[in-house]
Amino acid sequence: MESQVIIPDIDPIPVPAPLWLLKVLLLLTFTLHILAMNVAVGGGFIAAITEFLGKKRNSQNHLELSRSISKMLPPFTAFTITLGVAPLLFLQVLYGNFFYTSTILIAWPWLSIIVIFILAYYGYYLYSFRWEKLNGKRFAVVLISAILLAIIGLIYTQNIVLMLTPEKWKEIYFNNPHGTNLNISDPTVIPRYLHFMVAALAVAGLLVVMWGLKNIKSNEQLGKWGIRYGLLWFIIPTLVNIVVGLWFLISLPKNLLMLFMGENIYATIYFLIALVTMFASLIFMFIALNAVKPVMKIMFGKVFLLLTVVMMVLMRHELREAYLKPYIDWEKVQVEPQWGVITIFVLLLLGGLITVIWMLKKSFGKSSLVVHN
Amino acid sequence: MNYPFWDIPFIGGGILIGLVAIIHTFVSQFAIGGGLFLVLTEIKAYKENNSGIIDYLKIHSRFFILVTLVFGALTGVGIWFTIGLVTPTATSALIHIFVWGWAIEWIFFFIEIAAAMIYYHTWDKINRKTHLTIGWIYFIAAWMSLFVINGILSFMLTPGAWIENRSFWSAFFNPTMLPSLIMRTAVSLALAGLYALLTSSNLKNEDLRKLMVKYSAKWLIVPFFILPLGGLWYVSVIPEMAFDIISGGAPAVTLFAVASIFFSILIFGFAYFLPYRHPERFPVALSALFLLMGLTVTAVSEWVREAIRKPYIIYDYMYSNNVLKVNEENVKQTGVLASAKWTIIDTKTETDTLKIGEQVFKLQCQSCHTVEGYNGVKILVKGWQEPFIDAQLQHLNQLKGFMPPFMGSEMERKALAKWLYELNRSY
Repeated sequence: MESQVIIPDIDPIPVPAPLWLLKVLLLLTFTLHILAMNVAVGGGFIAAITEFLGKKRNSQNHLELSRSISKMLPPFTAFTITLGVAPLLFLQVLYGNFFYTSTILIAWPWLSIIVIFILAYYGYYLYSFRWEKLNGKRFAVVLISAILLAIIGLIYTQNIVLMLTPEKWKEIYFNNPHGTNLNISDPTVIPRYLHFMVAALAVAGLLVVMWGLKNIKSNEQLGKWGIRYGLLWFIIPTLVNIVVGLWFLISLPKNLLMLFMGENIYATIYFLIALVTMFASLIFMFIALNAVKPVMKIMFGKVFLLLTVVMMVLMRHELREAYLKPYIDWEKVQVEPQWGVITIFVLLLLGGLITVIWMLKKSFGKSSLVVHN
Repeated sequence: MNYPFWDIPFIGGGILIGLVAIIHTFVSQFAIGGGLFLVLTEIKAYKENNSGIIDYLKIHSRFFILVTLVFGALTGVGIWFTIGLVTPTATSALIHIFVWGWAIEWIFFFIEIAAAMIYYHTWDKINRKTHLTIGWIYFIAAWMSLFVINGILSFMLTPGAWIENRSFWSAFFNPTMLPSLIMRTAVSLALAGLYALLTSSNLKNEDLRKLMVKYSAKWLIVPFFILPLGGLWYVSVIPEMAFDIISGGAPAVTLFAVASIFFSILIFGFAYFLPYRHPERFPVALSALFLLMGLTVTAVSEWVREAIRKPYIIYDYMYSNNVLKVNEENVKQTGVLASAKWTIIDTKTETDTLKIGEQVFKLQCQSCHTVEGYNGVKILVKGWQEPFIDAQLQHLNQLKGFMPPFMGSEMERKALAKWLYELNRSY
């Protein structure tokens, strides 16, 4: 009994959709969530450092940028939440017996996410609404909020890794059933987490680039500065992230590492494509750095980055499936699709997207991505 | 028993769910009624050509997004987190039955959040008609999200035909779905009025203040008539046992139900005599008191709604202690320790009766009881002799209708009785 791994039974109620559909939705909504999160978290750190540099160098450019970022942080935080709810839902229907168990083991840290998030979010609103009045305190306010959001990421990574390692549950639970555990000692947690966070800086850097491109017509000097500054925010973290990614890779248990080295054909292909697209986006951004007309290069860089993110999400999924392979038999999962409700969901999703796009178009015209004040 | 039990000393998981749920309901139902308040008041301002009202709405809408987008949205995630931790088995069931319901709710949630932000940011920036349309989109999306969640929530008390046919539609359009929806809609309108009293009584311009305080108080009138009707309908369709619990079966629940009605009448009565009749003499402090009474009503009503579901968490399907009704006989025969996954006690080798008793308590009773805190068993069995405790355990569901029957072997029951008895003896 001691050595046995305890896995809760899957729910006796059948899964109301084909598994592939749920997995596709899980990965799709997770990708969108991650992109929004990158701007909300990475953008917060970039704003803080930009505030700092602006003050130190007494630079108007930095101030202009941080003011603009301050307007973007609350909406992107809202998107992070709304787009995060969906993958968490699909995760629970697919992997509920793993997810609930690991969550219970770290219940208090997990629940603290709500409180931390409310504080961070109000901090962002404070930074946005009171940008002028805060003046000297801006750096501290936005930095604290960004750090709080980053802490949430660390709790998430711990849980998402803990749910994949049921062999650890028993010891953790019977030593402490009060839900005050952590999973920080798992050697994959820190590199996995940093891989996300450093990427957040890079993706948020691209938003700065887009801000620069948008401003170039009305203020060429500011626009050019923004593009260059944003590109550096993309390039440097991405270079750092190559090292972090390698660290994450070698921190994995041997059998899982080998998935990406030929053992699993999908995992290996995703990995190779990711490497190619990542370097391609880096090269385009490098060229854009000194280009007279950087628009197209940046465009290509963005497309390749998006592809890289998609590949990373797919790799992550293959890794999860491999972790859980000894504990899940997908063949045994009962499926009874509720096609009627699924159809309504799809129609409403389309209707919802059209509604939101219509509202954005009506309100902000062409520059729908950037919220003006 | 399928999942490890999250042991929260003194307060227990039930209180935690209640706490988060009450806060969330109080804010999220305001988010719905408040949406209608914004658009209807904006229309009023245009009709009367009163720019003062528009200025007020700009302030109110800022307050509105700060409360609903941040606090409302995150406490909503919070309640989801909490139920997953405290009652994972029930949460899993709800997710499996209603995953597409939740997914549809998510679409409306997304539209709602986007519309709220856009509405706030586009005052004076777009034409009036478009701005109003965005306001309407917000309100409709917000109400639709209530529509979906209400169907799922009411299902837990009255699963209706789902028990037999396992159909999504039977589960969703269950017997209490409609009366509950009517009640929640009425409450959300009343909350819109209560929150608006807070922001309008804070206005500096005396004329505008008077106008808006009186207008806000009017928002309480319609709910005052709808609520009792919805309530009567609701009570007429709830299970017999739930009705018994409200009407005296469990005094605390009856007391809370009465408190809910009492405070509601108090709010509506005061609203008529103070802000409606005498808006000029209505200070901010009083509006805060009103809001506090609103919170009290929310708290006691939600508590009653949870309490009348006992002994089930999902009526006729899953008991409060997460055991499926179909597994009841099974657990009785195999014993609770042998059916539980998360226990270190091996019934074949364990000889310490007290240890077994404690473990049985943890698996079977702890979802509602703590030892010494909320609903603490130590006090509940004080002065009881061991055979008396054992007799009670044998007829739990008959003696106390809101408790599930004891499910376990005779040896386990006796061990539990002994452990319960020893709780008070060790002092």
